[in-house]
Amino acid sequence: MGRVILILLLPLLVGCQQNAETTTEKLSATRLLSSIDQQGFSRADKARAFIFPQDHAAHPEYRNEWWYFTGNLQDQSGQRFGYQVTFFRFALKPPGKKPARSRWSNNQLWMAHAAVTDPEGGRHFKQEKLTREGPGLAGSDARPFRVWVEDWQLQQSQQGFPWTIRINADQFSIELEVEPTIGLIRQGDKGLSQKSAAVGNASYYYSYPRLRSSGEITINEKRYQVTGNSWFDREWGTSALSSEQTGWDWFSLQFNSGENLMFYHLRNQQGEADPFSAGTRIDKDATTKRLTLSDIEVTPLTWWQSPSGKRYPVEWEMKLKQENRTLQIKSILAGQEMDLSVRYWEGAVDIYEQGRSIGSGFLEMTGY
Amino acid sequence: MVGSRLWRAGLRHQRLHGWQTVLAILGIALGVAVVMAVGLANQSASRAFEITMQQVSGRVTHQILAGPAGLPEQLYTDLRLQHPELTTAPVVEGVVRIRNEQFTLLGLDPLSEQPFRSLTALPAPDILTRLLTQENALLLSTYTAKRLGLESGNQITLDVAGVPRQAQIIALFGDQQGAALDGVLVADIAAAQTLLGQFGTLDRIDLTLRQEQIRPLQEWLPKGLHLVETSQRTAAMANMSQAFQTNLSAMSLLALLVGGFLIYNTATFSVLQRRRQFGIMRLIGATRSEVFRVILIEQMVIGLIGTMIGLGIGILLARELLWLVTRTINDLYYSITITQLDLSPAMLLTGTALGLITTLLASAAPAWEATRARPQSVNRRSVIEQQSHRALPWLLLIGLAVMAGGLLLADNSGRSLLLGFAALFCFIMGYCLLVPAVVPLLSRLFLYPVQGLFGTIGRLASRGIDATLSRTGPAISALTLAIAATIGMGIMVDSFRTSVGQWLSQTIQGDIYISVPHSSSKRASSPLPEELPAAILKVDGVREISTGRHVTVESESGPVNLLAIGLATTSYRGFKFKGDTLKNLWADFSSGNLILVSEPYAYHNQLKVGDAVTLLTPDGKKPFTIGGIFFDYGSDRGLLVMPRAHYAQRWQDTRITTIGIYLKQDATLDAVLTEVKKLAGRSAQQLSVRANKEILKQSLEIFDRTFTITQVLRLLVIAVAFVGILSAMMAMQLERAKEHAILRATGLTPRQLLGQITLQTLLMGLMAALLAIPLGWLMAEILIHVINLRSFGWSMPSQLSPSILMEAMLFALIASLLAGLYPSLRMARTQPALALREE
Repeated sequence: MGRVILILLLPLLVGCQQNAETTTEKLSATRLLSSIDQQGFSRADKARAFIFPQDHAAHPEYRNEWWYFTGNLQDQSGQRFGYQVTFFRFALKPPGKKPARSRWSNNQLWMAHAAVTDPEGGRHFKQEKLTREGPGLAGSDARPFRVWVEDWQLQQSQQGFPWTIRINADQFSIELEVEPTIGLIRQGDKGLSQKSAAVGNASYYYSYPRLRSSGEITINEKRYQVTGNSWFDREWGTSALSSEQTGWDWFSLQFNSGENLMFYHLRNQQGEADPFSAGTRIDKDATTKRLTLSDIEVTPLTWWQSPSGKRYPVEWEMKLKQENRTLQIKSILAGQEMDLSVRYWEGAVDIYEQGRSIGSGFLEMTGY
Repeated sequence: MVGSRLWRAGLRHQRLHGWQTVLAILGIALGVAVVMAVGLANQSASRAFEITMQQVSGRVTHQILAGPAGLPEQLYTDLRLQHPELTTAPVVEGVVRIRNEQFTLLGLDPLSEQPFRSLTALPAPDILTRLLTQENALLLSTYTAKRLGLESGNQITLDVAGVPRQAQIIALFGDQQGAALDGVLVADIAAAQTLLGQFGTLDRIDLTLRQEQIRPLQEWLPKGLHLVETSQRTAAMANMSQAFQTNLSAMSLLALLVGGFLIYNTATFSVLQRRRQFGIMRLIGATRSEVFRVILIEQMVIGLIGTMIGLGIGILLARELLWLVTRTINDLYYSITITQLDLSPAMLLTGTALGLITTLLASAAPAWEATRARPQSVNRRSVIEQQSHRALPWLLLIGLAVMAGGLLLADNSGRSLLLGFAALFCFIMGYCLLVPAVVPLLSRLFLYPVQGLFGTIGRLASRGIDATLSRTGPAISALTLAIAATIGMGIMVDSFRTSVGQWLSQTIQGDIYISVPHSSSKRASSPLPEELPAAILKVDGVREISTGRHVTVESESGPVNLLAIGLATTSYRGFKFKGDTLKNLWADFSSGNLILVSEPYAYHNQLKVGDAVTLLTPDGKKPFTIGGIFFDYGSDRGLLVMPRAHYAQRWQDTRITTIGIYLKQDATLDAVLTEVKKLAGRSAQQLSVRANKEILKQSLEIFDRTFTITQVLRLLVIAVAFVGILSAMMAMQLERAKEHAILRATGLTPRQLLGQITLQTLLMGLMAALLAIPLGWLMAEILIHVINLRSFGWSMPSQLSPSILMEAMLFALIASLLAGLYPSLRMARTQPALALREE
C-alpha cells in the first residue's frame, strides 16, 4: 500500500514551521520528497521471505515504513467508535557504515497519528507525535516486538499475541489488545506491492486483515469498554509515487460474512484511476485473491467540504465486476479529516448492499 | 519694552564674551558626552544581553540543570516517555571560537523547538534536512555573517578548546539589521555533540511549565538535578555585570558634575559681569522675575547647545567605549557579542534632560543672586565682596554638614551600591562648598612667601584672590573637584593593581602551570589529557605537582565557580585568609569536611567562617562548612575551593584542568619548561604551558585591560576638568580687564601685569591642587572601601601613590598657566585707555 509515502516527508516541512499552513507549502512536500536522495537506500525490487519477529521491527535500510491500525469498535451499550493508530518511520539518510557517536544523529524520524471517532456525538479526535529516534525517544525492537513514539506504543505479549496498543492523547486515550482471527496476508506478489512501473517503486506489504480487539477508549475522561475488529497494515520501502500519480483512495473492508477486501485506487492528475491500482480479497479461511483495476470500479457519490476548505468524497459506490455486486460505502461521520502536519481523510465507514448493512471498514483519502 | 532690552543686552554680552560662551558650551558638551557615551555603551550591552537571552531562552520558563558533568541524555528520553504532557526541548551548549572571537554553539533539536524558539524555522525544507543530517552544519545570524564576511555555504574552522574542527554554514537566519543573536551559532543537537565531542550528555533541558506542573516534576527529578526558573537565572546573570555597569555610570556622572560646575562658573561670571547692567535695568523698570528669567533662559540656551553637541560627541564616543565595555564583560562575566549601538530614544532623552537639569541647577543660583540685590547697591563691587565674605561661615557650615551627611550615609547604607554613590557625591559636594571658605585662609598663608619672592606683584596676586572671592571661590572649587576626581580614581586603580599584583605573586606558588587555553563548555574548563600528570612527574627536576579542576556547580543562589585542588606541600602558602579561620583548617580541609570561599563570595552571600554553603551534588543538596575566607581578586562572582580528591569522589569527575609544577631546588626553570612543553606538544589539544612570571605578567595585562575603560573615563574627566579650569580662569581674568587697565594706567608694565596675572592663576591652581589632595584621597577611600566593596566584594588597602599626587599637581599648574596666558597676553597688548573705555 502506497499510502503516506507523501505524508512521511511532510512533517519535515510543516512540523517545524508554524506558518506552513497553506496548500502550496504543503504541496511542496512532493518536491521535498524528490529532493531527498533515494540513493544508498535498499529498494523493494523483488519478493522476499518474511522472517518474524525480525520483520515486525524496523528496516532502517529502507527509507520509509509504517505500522497501521484501523478498526471499528463498540461498547456494551452498542455505541460505535472508529479508531486509527499509526506509527511511521522515515529515514533522512541511509545508515552509515559505522554508527555515529552521537545518538541523536541516527537520521530516523518517527511520527505517530492517533484518532478516535464518536459518530453519535459527531466528534472526531486526532493527535500527532513527531520525534527523531534520538536516544530512545522512538524506535522498534524485534524481541520482544515493540514499536514506540515516546509514550505511545505497540507491544507484543510474552506469548506473542495479543499485541497491546497504548495511546495517551490530550483528549482521548486508546488501550487495546488485538489478536488476529485471520493469519498474516502477503499483499501484492508474495508481499511485494508494485506502485508504479519503475523497478523498485514498490514496497513490502503484509497485513492482518482481521484482529479481534478489546479494551478501553477514553474520551474527555469518560471511559468506554469496547470490543470489535481491527485491521493491521505493515509496509516498508524506498519508493515514491510517480509524477503522474496525485493521490489515492484506500479501502479496507470487513464484511459481516467474515470476508475482507482491500483496494487502493491510485488517481492521476486527471482524476482517473491509475493502472497500478490494486487490491486483495481475503476469505474467512485466509485464502486470497489479487484484484486489479479491471475487477473493481469505485465512484464518488457524496462530497463533504472540510473546515480547511478541502472536498472529500465521503460516500462511494464500489462495483465488484466479477460478482456483479454494487456496494455503497458511507462514512460513519463526514468530519474525519486528519488535519495534522499532513492533511488527509481517514475514517470509519459502513458497507451497504441494496440498503442493507453488510459490514464496516476504513477509508483513507489523500491528494484532495 | 524693558524685557526686549534685557534680551538684546544678553545677546550682546554673549557676543562680546564669545570665548566664555564657547568654553561653557564645550564644558557641558563634554560632560553630557561622557555620560551619554557610557550610558549608551552600557545600555547597548544590557540590551544585547537581553535580546540574546530572549532569543536563546525563547518561551522557556524553566530549565533542568545538573552538575559540571551535564545531564545524561537518557534523562530526556525518560522525561518524554514518562511525562509526555510537558513541553520540553533538549539543549547542548558550548563555547567555540572563530578567528579568535568567542561564540556560543547552541545545539538544538529542531523537532522539539517549535514551542520555544524560532531559530530553526527555515525557509527551505532541504536546509532542515541538511541541518538534521550533516554532522557539521551550522546556522549563523545574517548580521554576524555579514560582520565576519561569511556567506551561506562557506566552510569555517572552529576552534573547540584548542582543537580545530571544520564546519559549514548551511543557512543564515534573521535580517541584516538585527544584531540579535550576534555571537550565537545554531546547530542540530547531534552536530553540536559531535563538534564539541560531548556525547551522551545534554547541558540542560528547556521547559515551558504551568504552575501546577512544577511540583510533580520536582518530585520526579532524580537527585543531583535542579529545576530552575529561567527568569531568575537570566536575572542572576544580568546582575553579574550590574555592579560594573553601575560603576561606569557613576564615574560618567562625575564628568557631568565637573561639567555642571563649569556651567555654574560661567553663569556666575556672566551674571557678575553684568550686575551693574542688571541694576540699571531694574532701575528703569525691569522686574526681578524678568531679570531672573532672562538669565536663566540665556544659560539654558547655552546648556541646550552644549547638550546637543554633547549628544553627538557622546554617540561617537560610545562606539569606542562599546567594545571596551564588551571586552570587560567578556573578560569578567559572561560571553556576549555586542557590535551594535542601541540608540534608544529614552537614553537620548535622559542625556538631554541631564544636561539641561545640570544647566538649570548651575545657573539658578547666580540668576537668583543677580535679582536678589537691591538695584541701588548692585553696581558697587565692595557690596558683592562683602556679601561673599559674609556668606563664608555659612558655606563652611553647610559644606561640613553635607560632608558629614555623606560620611554618615556611607556608614549607614548597608550594602547598597547606589546609596554608596549618593554618599560619595554628597561628600564631594560638601567639600566643594567648603572650599571658598578656606581660600582666604590659604591666600593669607601664601601672602608672605609670595610677597617675599615677587614683591608687590606677588602681594597683588595673592591679595587679589581673597579680594575677589566671589569669582575666585567657585573657580577654585571647580578646579579642586576636577583635580580630586583624577586623584581619587587614580589612587583607586593604583591600589587595586598593587593588591592584585601582591595577591597574584602569593597565589602563584608553582613554577610552571599547564592549562587548556579556553574551554568548550560553559560548565567546566577543558580537561587536560589524563596521562599528563604522571608523565610530568617523571620529568627531571620536577619535585611535585598540584592539580586543579575548575567547574561551575549549582548552589542555592545559582551557579558558582568551584576550584577543586590537589595541593602540593607548599600550595598552602598561596592562600591568605581574611580574619580568622576554623581550627585545624588544613587537616579538616584535606579530609573533605570544609570548603574555602573567596571574599567576594562571602560578601555577596553574607557568609562568615563556620556558615554552610549548600551545593547541588549528584547525591542531592549537601551543605559544606566554610573553613576560611580567602582573598581572591580573580573573580568578583566568587570562588569556592575544595580538595580535588573529595570533589572527584562526590561529583564522579577525576579530570583535571590545571597542573602546577614545583621544581627541585637545583633544577633550572628553562630546562624543565622545555621538557614540559615537549610533553604538552604531543597532545592533540593545544595546551598552554607558562612559567609563573609569565602568568603574573599576563594576569596584570588582563587587569590593565579590564581597567582600560576606567582609565579612559579618568582621562575624560580630566579633559572636562581641563576645559573647566581654562574657562574659569580665563573668564575671571578677562572679566577683570578693567582692573588690569587701571593697574596698567597706574604704572604697571605689560611684563609686570603678565607676571601678576600668571602668578595669580598659578596660585589658584596651587591652592586647588592642595585642596584637591585631601578630597581626592578621601574619594579614593570611599571608592575603595565603600564602592568597590559593595560592587565586587573586594577589600584592599589603599595606597597613596606620590606619583599620582605629583601628576595632579602638575596638571593643575599647567592648566592654570595656560589659562592665565591668553588673558594676560591680551591685557598686556591692550591700551589701558581702551580697556577702561569699554566700560
